Amino acid sequence: MTAISSSEALGGSQLRDWLRHHGWTLGVWLLLGALVVWYSTLVPSFGGFELSLIVNNSLPIAFLALGQAVIVIAGGIDLGVGSMMVLTNVVAAKYMEGESFAVAILIAVVLIAAAAILNGIVGWIINVSKVPDIVITLATLFIFAGFALAILPSPGGGAPGRFRWLFTGSESGIGRNAWPAIIMLALATQVVGLWLVKTRNGLSLYALGSDPTAAYLSGVRNSKAKILSYAIGGGLAAMAGLATTALTGSGSPRLSIASTATLNSVAAIVLGGIALTGGIGSVVGASGAAIVLFILNPILTARGVDPNSARVIQGLLIIFVLMIAGVLEQRRQRRS
Amino acid sequence: MTTTSPTVSPPSTRGADIGAFFARHPLIVLSTVLVILILVTGAIEPNYLSVSGLRGTALIAVPVGIIAASQTVLMITGGIDLSASMIATAAAYITAAQAENGAFVAIGLGILVGIGAGAANGIGVGVFRVNPLIMTIAMSGIIFGLFSSWAQGWLAGSTVVGEFVRTIGGKSFLDGNIPYAVVIWAVLTAMIVGMLRYTGFGRMLYAQGDNAVAARLAGTRSWQVLLIAYILAGVLSAIGGILLAGRLGAVDLRLADGLLLPSVAAAVIGGTSIFGGVGSYSGTIFGALILGVLSSMLTFLDAGQAAQQILFGSIVLGLAWLYSSITRRT
Repeated sequence: MTAISSSEALGGSQLRDWLRHHGWTLGVWLLLGALVVWYSTLVPSFGGFELSLIVNNSLPIAFLALGQAVIVIAGGIDLGVGSMMVLTNVVAAKYMEGESFAVAILIAVVLIAAAAILNGIVGWIINVSKVPDIVITLATLFIFAGFALAILPSPGGGAPGRFRWLFTGSESGIGRNAWPAIIMLALATQVVGLWLVKTRNGLSLYALGSDPTAAYLSGVRNSKAKILSYAIGGGLAAMAGLATTALTGSGSPRLSIASTATLNSVAAIVLGGIALTGGIGSVVGASGAAIVLFILNPILTARGVDPNSARVIQGLLIIFVLMIAGVLEQRRQRRS
Repeated sequence: MTTTSPTVSPPSTRGADIGAFFARHPLIVLSTVLVILILVTGAIEPNYLSVSGLRGTALIAVPVGIIAASQTVLMITGGIDLSASMIATAAAYITAAQAENGAFVAIGLGILVGIGAGAANGIGVGVFRVNPLIMTIAMSGIIFGLFSSWAQGWLAGSTVVGEFVRTIGGKSFLDGNIPYAVVIWAVLTAMIVGMLRYTGFGRMLYAQGDNAVAARLAGTRSWQVLLIAYILAGVLSAIGGILLAGRLGAVDLRLADGLLLPSVAAAVIGGTSIFGGVGSYSGTIFGALILGVLSSMLTFLDAGQAAQQILFGSIVLGLAWLYSSITRRT
């Protein structure tokens, strides 16, 4: 987003070039801005409470979308991220209950590392078995959800107040301070985004996603890049799980939560402009799109639309946006 | 990743010959796995190896198998239907709500739901080029939202399916030995296998998934092929949902939820490529039967839900790995 101001100084052709590469991301954030403004006119008062409601609640899905984005950019897809989120949520809620803040942070760090290693192994299995990503991760969706259920058979657990504050700005999970969540998400998005485009390893993920053969011939170690993408995706899924723990103050080991979260993460990245074929898109768009998907609910509720119709409208909106994208893409192909 | 070494004829050892044989006939591997699983289940629960035990598995496998047919057809074109379970649920819901108007009206309207939802998916994917994964995820949300509000409105009423639907979904004939649902599945199987193998439309499906550009240049109208494929998939999912409702007797909005991922898994285990162009329905049938036996086995083991999920995922992973390592030899 910071690039907007610098691009104004550039020449027309450079601006057009910038827009061609980042237009979709910009569009997503403009759409989000418009939706926030619209929402603020719908509720009696728009303040910290409303803002934190939006950001806090979209935090898990935004982290999950970031993780999915990294994996999809590298040419994969991970249907298991939702289960990884649930698994982390459950383990965190079980072991953080009644512990001090320091212990909670220690648990969080260990969980992120463990999730990264576990999902890295998933990437390794995909490499070795040569079975398509979608199939392997369909299996891990069940396996991780099973682990979660084994660890915490029924919803429960807890987290120390200060840990919950870290993600939600409030020790009870609901408050008027939106900053911690905003900073958390902006930081994660920026770090992952910059790592992807500024470092050797990050760029190798784009290379692998756009053309594995070309990447291999130009010296990328494809199997390493694949494992790396899954490991980072797993770590971010763990962040989503920790955010869920902070938000709800408990763990919920349900497979349906996992599969819904996975599908939402895929919807968010596609809406965020990341091509499912790999190699195209930015994580900045993905995290924006995740909030767009979430904010529709409070807007439609404020408009007096019942939650069921809200789901219909949300589905129609996703299809509508992608239909426009599809038509634009077809026109561009015809012209070139 | 795709660095294939130049083809060197392998040393003619006995092991390589057997490997090559299995690679050419993967269905033999699948049927072996199926038989082993049935025997293992029989070892766990001796009563399983009887007509009634196997009939139970067949009844579990039928809805998964029919919904997996829609996944197979679409995966061959390079697509997928993540709204299949929701289409199945919606069709079953309509069938139950219309039960008082007679079985044929009820089933007809149920299948009409499948046609409608399938056509919407087909238009999105075929005409507007929306990614199938996203198109069908969104469609699933739309159907769920619509039916959740309708269930409190004009659809509020019977959630119990009629006697006829219960008969075809769960009852058997010939002294209760052969379920009607299995006969319906057999008829559908003959039609789908015949369509995929012997009709021009079937070949167009493979062509679309194998190389969409080449298929277009060869004169197929890809949007029409995709539209019909998605409508067909919608109808198959609807039939699967109605049979499931018939087996269970009543419907709710989560009726077929648990069938979505198994339906994809069945097609994948059966060797249909998620990237399109490769696959057969006969493989998918074995996939559905294997999953059916598996779920019976897990029930007999009395493993908790957690262990069931872990085992289910591990076995899907293991079978997919096995299948790909066998068939890669060709």
